[in-house]
Amino acid sequence: MSNKPASKPDGWGQRLPELPDGGAGAPLQKDLLNGVSRRHFMQATGFAFIGTMMLGCTAVSEEEALPYLEQPEGVIAGRSDLYATTCGGCSAGCGMLARSRDGRPVKLEGNPDHPLSHGGLCAVGQASLLGLYDSHRLRAPVMDGKASDWASVDVALGDRLRQLRSASGRVAWLGAPITSPNKRARVEEFLATFDNGRLVEASANSQMPIAEAHGLTHGVATVPRYHFDRAQVIVSVDADFLGTWISPVEFTAAWSSRRRGDALENGFSEHVQFESRMSVTGTKADLRLRIAPGERAAVLNQLVRHLSQHAHRSLRQIQDRPLTSVDDAQIAAIAARLWEHRDQALVVCGADDLAAQTLCNAANELLGAYGKCLDLAQPAHHAGSSETELSLLLDEIAAGRIDALFVDGLNPVLDLPAGAALAQRLDAMQLVVSFSPYEDETSAHADFICPDHHYLESWSDNDNITGLMSYTQPIVAPMGATRQLEESLSMWTTGAVVPVRDQVLASSGGDVRRFDKLLHDGFEMRDVRQNAGNFRPDGVHAASDPDASGLQLVLYSKVAIPSSAHAFNPWLHELPDPVTKSVWDNYASLSPATAERLSLQDGDVVRVALGQDAAVEVPVLIQPGQHDSAVAVALGYGSVLSRRFEGVGPGWIERKPTVGSDGLVGASATAVLAFEGGRRKFAGRSVTVEATGARRELARTQDYHSLDVPPHLAPEGGERRPNVQETTVAALMDPHFGEHAIEHHDGGNMWPVDHPYEGHHWGMVIDLTLCTGCSACVTSCQVENNVPVVGKDEVRRNREMHWLRIDRYFVDRDPATAGGDRSNGTGNGDVDVSHQPMMCHHCDNAPCETVCPVLATVHSDEGLNQQVYNRCVGTRYCMNNCPYKVRRFNWFEYAHEDEHENLAMNPDVTIRSRGIMEKCSFCAQRIQEAKIVARQQRRPVADGDIRMACQQSCAAQAISFGDMNDPESAVARARDSRRHFQVLAEIGVQPSVGYTSLVRNRPTDHEGPQHG
Amino acid sequence: MNRHVLTSVLAVAFLFSVIVLASQEDGAHILWNRKGYTPEQPIAYSHRLHAGELQIDCQYCHFGADKSRHAGIPPASVCMNCHRFVQATLGAIRAEDELAKAEERDPVPVMSAEIQKVYTALALDGKAERDPDLDQSPIRWTKIHRVPDYVYFDHRPHVSVGLACQRCHGAIETMERVRQVEDLSMGWCVNCHRDVNATGVAGQEVDASIDCVACHY
Repeated sequence: MSNKPASKPDGWGQRLPELPDGGAGAPLQKDLLNGVSRRHFMQATGFAFIGTMMLGCTAVSEEEALPYLEQPEGVIAGRSDLYATTCGGCSAGCGMLARSRDGRPVKLEGNPDHPLSHGGLCAVGQASLLGLYDSHRLRAPVMDGKASDWASVDVALGDRLRQLRSASGRVAWLGAPITSPNKRARVEEFLATFDNGRLVEASANSQMPIAEAHGLTHGVATVPRYHFDRAQVIVSVDADFLGTWISPVEFTAAWSSRRRGDALENGFSEHVQFESRMSVTGTKADLRLRIAPGERAAVLNQLVRHLSQHAHRSLRQIQDRPLTSVDDAQIAAIAARLWEHRDQALVVCGADDLAAQTLCNAANELLGAYGKCLDLAQPAHHAGSSETELSLLLDEIAAGRIDALFVDGLNPVLDLPAGAALAQRLDAMQLVVSFSPYEDETSAHADFICPDHHYLESWSDNDNITGLMSYTQPIVAPMGATRQLEESLSMWTTGAVVPVRDQVLASSGGDVRRFDKLLHDGFEMRDVRQNAGNFRPDGVHAASDPDASGLQLVLYSKVAIPSSAHAFNPWLHELPDPVTKSVWDNYASLSPATAERLSLQDGDVVRVALGQDAAVEVPVLIQPGQHDSAVAVALGYGSVLSRRFEGVGPGWIERKPTVGSDGLVGASATAVLAFEGGRRKFAGRSVTVEATGARRELARTQDYHSLDVPPHLAPEGGERRPNVQETTVAALMDPHFGEHAIEHHDGGNMWPVDHPYEGHHWGMVIDLTLCTGCSACVTSCQVENNVPVVGKDEVRRNREMHWLRIDRYFVDRDPATAGGDRSNGTGNGDVDVSHQPMMCHHCDNAPCETVCPVLATVHSDEGLNQQVYNRCVGTRYCMNNCPYKVRRFNWFEYAHEDEHENLAMNPDVTIRSRGIMEKCSFCAQRIQEAKIVARQQRRPVADGDIRMACQQSCAAQAISFGDMNDPESAVARARDSRRHFQVLAEIGVQPSVGYTSLVRNRPTDHEGPQHG
Repeated sequence: MNRHVLTSVLAVAFLFSVIVLASQEDGAHILWNRKGYTPEQPIAYSHRLHAGELQIDCQYCHFGADKSRHAGIPPASVCMNCHRFVQATLGAIRAEDELAKAEERDPVPVMSAEIQKVYTALALDGKAERDPDLDQSPIRWTKIHRVPDYVYFDHRPHVSVGLACQRCHGAIETMERVRQVEDLSMGWCVNCHRDVNATGVAGQEVDASIDCVACHY
């Protein structure tokens, strides 16, 4: 028997019979603190804690209900109405439906009837909602740096204008291209009141060269309308038509209509891309050839040479000797394909180089594409004036020969070359008036800031394409005391404000009933055609020898940030770039070989310099598939509009700032944008790249990039991960395609009694052939579901909150010749890229549901994996168990109060607080709404009644959603496709989301020249 | 600190909690359980008179019930549909008439105090016309039937299946002042869903979902 301890055990004393001395050793002291034992302390603390908690059981504060005094007819609290308008996110002018709730827009969608967008709406359009609810927007006019009111501004400005008119002052209007006939009329009327008034329309990224080239080759200086849906063979030389070029939503919709893998009988287009940097369009090309930035005209020269031989027409400007490093045989083959389908062939060029553009026109002319795949008779109106006019105006301003400048829709001090010098000239100028909604780099130098309405508060007509007139109507009354530009102009022209609705009504013909119908529809087709000109061979400019030496700069716009005007938008900043998956930064992209040669790694800050003084410092990002001589930097960054992001993200002890040392997001690359020969040169200038020794870690949402397992790790037969299945048109033509697909014995439904799925069973299929990675779906989901923005540091910690992410994979086209170390999976050669949207798969045997200790995630009778926010305690076991890693945890209170931004929230979705797990819910609020409406109408839910936010926004219509139990539904038919597969099917979770494999139009055995 | 001090501190804290709980305006209750809640409203509107005696249909005023998630409290313009003509009880008007006859003068318009509140909110004069010197102000009703923000209750499926309003809101037509009759707890909702799935509503089969996502999203 062991010794008992000397003192009486009070629960803390221990007797351990198995120990020789009973564990007594030294007698245990009663562990007392001032006479209170540990046990008593714990009891007391616990009781006090519970007692204090009970204080929380106080009255729920009273809530008042304030109904209307006089409710407008048709307005029902809690019901959303759709209004047609036109998107103002960029100049493309896609038709849009705004969902209005309780008198304000909460979500924007594409207008399915609109001939340009066919219902799609890009990420920029989706995110533009936030511009309306921006607390930093100017709410009143500013006069001499102080807030003022319109009456005072009109008086003071009126005086200045009278002085100018009497002194024949030289007045210039420098603004974004005007696509509204009403606005153009007001601007021209206003400028006509001055003896010396001129209008120059320019944008930060220029489409002017296309128009100017058509002026030279066809006598009409316009941007044609491109019909990608009519093209069987598309050759693009540096035109990112699926990403950022001219009208990406329209082009994606059109391009995707010829890429339906389950409708091969309708044809499947061939798409060849020549480019120096990896663009979204390049990721979708069947054949992608890398060229140096300066080689674009040279490539087109080759192409036109071969096409002229086919056409038996010669052009004296074409050079016989090959100017480009691209294999001539390959270009000959491409020319042959174009010629074979010359009724349905299209060559497009995105270069800023006039020679390249005129050669492109020549190519299309030889193919007979004018009038078929591109149309000068119904052209687009985005281009603006010419580069020459812009540079002339800037010269005049620099020489002090402009007395008054009106700036609208453009930020010249930031967006144009030599901005700092321009700012000084503005200070010296007699009168500078800005219509900017913000205090930006240019309006800071303005005498008067007369902020324009946001487009969601505006009336307008839009003539983006001849033959199509779209209308803009306000979805909400003006939120501040801004005034629409057209009204300001009418005041300063006629002395009285003409309400802009009356202006647009008059512009539309004056018939109110017809106007109502136009507003309801959102647009009108008109049978209007313009002069399409005639081809003039003399207009073609010869390609010059490309400068093949050294590094050449490529300045481009990201998909998320088309211009600095969007730099205020946190949704766009946090949207992972489709190609690089980087957020909150711009960078210099270098090819793997170039980075190796310069001994640079991801995140090394380099100085990209054009000569001595013009330089920009940005971190390096290594980009597979980029040409070795290209250095690509995105424009639109380094704007003062991003100063507000100093505090974005949770303010905890380890946080690192989202903004740079200058307090801005990214660096402005216009420092290295210059005029050359009177034109802005966005690509092809020689630059030097030097390491500065500093580092800036990039925040990327994806750090694994390859579908190929590194060679030293890959098991036999498992060299490529099967997440993304790829195939070719040729393989699909085989009637036996898909028959030998691996059968997965996954055990079937684990819950046959609980979940028999007798009613609806919701599922989704995403077509990887059509997905371009544009990320409109990601932003649409974020807006619809109140997904928070977390800031750069949190993204670096893999804590971005997007419910839907797009995984982007690189695969070496030809591993044998790829070179490089391939340790990250890709070498230095050409790469194939695939995009795979990934969201909660709503697995029927969900591994997350079985591990939740509080049953906050359970399965619904209709197949949804439900996340009940109010029940979640934040164990995060579900996140651990998810094989797709699609669950997002609120590590901090990411939501923040902002009087105006609060209004952008969707009232139908809970806003989650800290400690709550969230994930794709299959837009449960939309499913519920459709079911309730169907029930009220005593009918079953029809296929197409429920559209996911992601599905609705997709310009390519890559997402199908519906009832898997309905054999006629689009999703059931997609699941029956031979191309259908599921990711990680072998683990037996039975996901409700499937994919149809990526089809490329290339020879199955990858024959043909591999390099470019 | 000795045990006596500790005990007395705890006792005081406990008593404090009890007092705070008990002194709640609307009676001691667990969070969100507001059964019996009968707050005073800015206008002493009587459902007993309008819905009970006059038998005005619930959805004449609460017209949102079959169109949206919220049944809604009617805008003042709905009240004015009748009350531009009905400004006082018949008895009050007759009394004034008789008094006027007795005093040999014209009768003055009689306006009940409660109806006057509607006119004031709408800034109307006695003849139901807008008085430009007065400002309009909304009527600030106190919301009685509330569920937490994470509950997305929708009236439409309940109304369209034929449930009487009284099923959840009690005998409103007997209430001078509206009170919450049921506790509107999740258990109460789910039990009813389960019951009607078995028994149906008004002779019709129903499929009332008990999926979490039916109400929590």
